[in-house]
Amino acid sequence: MSESYGIIASFPDTPAFFHAAEKVRDAGYKKWDTYSSFPVHGMPAAQGQPRSKVPVFTFCGGVSGFTLGMTIVWFMNAFNYPLIVGGQPFFSPVFPFPIMYELTILLSAFGTLGGMFITNLLPQHYNPLFNSEKFLEVSGDRLVIAIEARDGQYDPVATRRFLEEIGGTDIEEVSA
Amino acid sequence: MSSDTTNSKGSNVGLIALVVGIVGIVIALFGFKQGWDDGDVRPIMSWLIGIGFWLSIAIGMLFLTQIWYVFHARWPTIIRRQCEHGMAAFPYLLVLFLPLLAIPFFHENPGLLWKWMDGHNALPGHGTVGEDPLYQWKSPFLNIPFFAVRAVGIFGVFILVSELLRRWSFNTDTTGDVNNLHNARRLSSLGLFLTSIAMTLGAIDWFKSLEYHWFSTMYGVWFFAASMRAAISTLLILCVILAWKGYLKGILKQAHRYDLGCLMLTFTIFWTYISFSQYFLIYSANIPEETFWYNIREMNYDGTRNSWWWVSMGLIFGHFLTPFLLLLWYKTKVVVWRTVIVASWILAFHVLDLYWNIVPGKLVAPDHAPGYLVRQFSISPYDIAALIGIGGICIFAMCRSMKKAEPIPVRDPNILTSLNYSE
Repeated sequence: MSESYGIIASFPDTPAFFHAAEKVRDAGYKKWDTYSSFPVHGMPAAQGQPRSKVPVFTFCGGVSGFTLGMTIVWFMNAFNYPLIVGGQPFFSPVFPFPIMYELTILLSAFGTLGGMFITNLLPQHYNPLFNSEKFLEVSGDRLVIAIEARDGQYDPVATRRFLEEIGGTDIEEVSA
Repeated sequence: MSSDTTNSKGSNVGLIALVVGIVGIVIALFGFKQGWDDGDVRPIMSWLIGIGFWLSIAIGMLFLTQIWYVFHARWPTIIRRQCEHGMAAFPYLLVLFLPLLAIPFFHENPGLLWKWMDGHNALPGHGTVGEDPLYQWKSPFLNIPFFAVRAVGIFGVFILVSELLRRWSFNTDTTGDVNNLHNARRLSSLGLFLTSIAMTLGAIDWFKSLEYHWFSTMYGVWFFAASMRAAISTLLILCVILAWKGYLKGILKQAHRYDLGCLMLTFTIFWTYISFSQYFLIYSANIPEETFWYNIREMNYDGTRNSWWWVSMGLIFGHFLTPFLLLLWYKTKVVVWRTVIVASWILAFHVLDLYWNIVPGKLVAPDHAPGYLVRQFSISPYDIAALIGIGGICIFAMCRSMKKAEPIPVRDPNILTSLNYSE
């Protein structure tokens, strides 16, 4: 048999699924995830996931946009080619505001989108879990928890037994 | 309903608020009387600041309620009830507004506060209001009878819409009749137009016309943005207090606070957008009839910086930048004490924003020398008395309303969605 990617277990209903996730979290597993075809409220907390890091990317994008907008106007109107427009000063923080404002929003949006891709490890066209016929039913009504083999605590026998204990059914090992 | 304990608490708070309110109002009216006798407008402005602050909160709550109805927002159902209690202040605010309305009719100088009301008032430099072509052009709108009619109409709209919304919502508690919700949604669709127009006229009449020379098409929206910020901040503080006192304990969830925090951030940005746009358009056009309004908020006639420059900077950094940066953090919106601090901060700077809009003015220089003087920034004890006094009455009105209805709309069709709301 080829190398193992991990073990998947299915759960009969959402509460069982939810509480099983809490037990996996409390058992100390790190490389694992829950899969369902609909959002389960409170699941990120049940999985022990920290707050998303995307806002950091957004903020960096915003600050870059702000700086870029101000610098463009200063460089063009006050440094490279000083120009008097409407009797206003060469540079003032007031009149470049629309440019700086638009660039702040634009680069914040880019930062958000890029940050979402980076933190979600996207694009990812293939996942070994697709090898499992049972896993494909997640897009229907199946609720699945998958613990990956690269988790430090992973052990083919002990992890399988653990998933049985917390109420998992249809447990199977997925090849990588 | 476990109302026996909670309601008696409410009545105590209401009674204390009433006493404090009456004391504050007596002190502020004493100042008002002195200003009336001496022809000094500053203590009368204190009253206008007090009215403006509490009226803006009530108006913001009226807007929020209607916006939530129109968008069929279900999460704020438990918060909407607190807005409905807050809106009980409108009739009281009308009564408290009457002293200001008495000036044009009973004072020897009808233009004591709003100087366009008396054509004999001297203007800085030369001439009088009556000789001013700008006033002559604006007089079909800016005249005392029309002003009085508008004031009554504006309050009429606020009171009518808020009372109907309150009645229907409270009626649902006892009858469970879903038609109340349909009626409220229908009224809100129309009411948003009515209240927007009323609020814009109010902002123009009471605040903007203090400098009748000036032009700005953004002013009504500025007052809307300021009102929304004030109302959302007040709601957050109010809901936290109610949760702490037991009314909303276990009902007000982190998700509700988080969303109110997001709205607080939204309207911080919106207020800045509007305030800056107003400045930016006038700065770019550079027309003296418009720029003078910002000039007196920055410098004296001789070009030296005056006290308003510091207030203006305070608004940029204190009313925008600080709350903006703080509210960007997720933690600020969910950790209770941080939210409450930011909300209180916004309310404090909202008062400063009202000062900045109301108090500065061009005064005639001594001996009619060229140029003008600027009425400088000052905090008078009467300002504080008016803010506390009028606030006491508004809180009394709210507590009185709280005794009439459940703490949350228990039979509203959307109540479960609101109770189970999660991020």
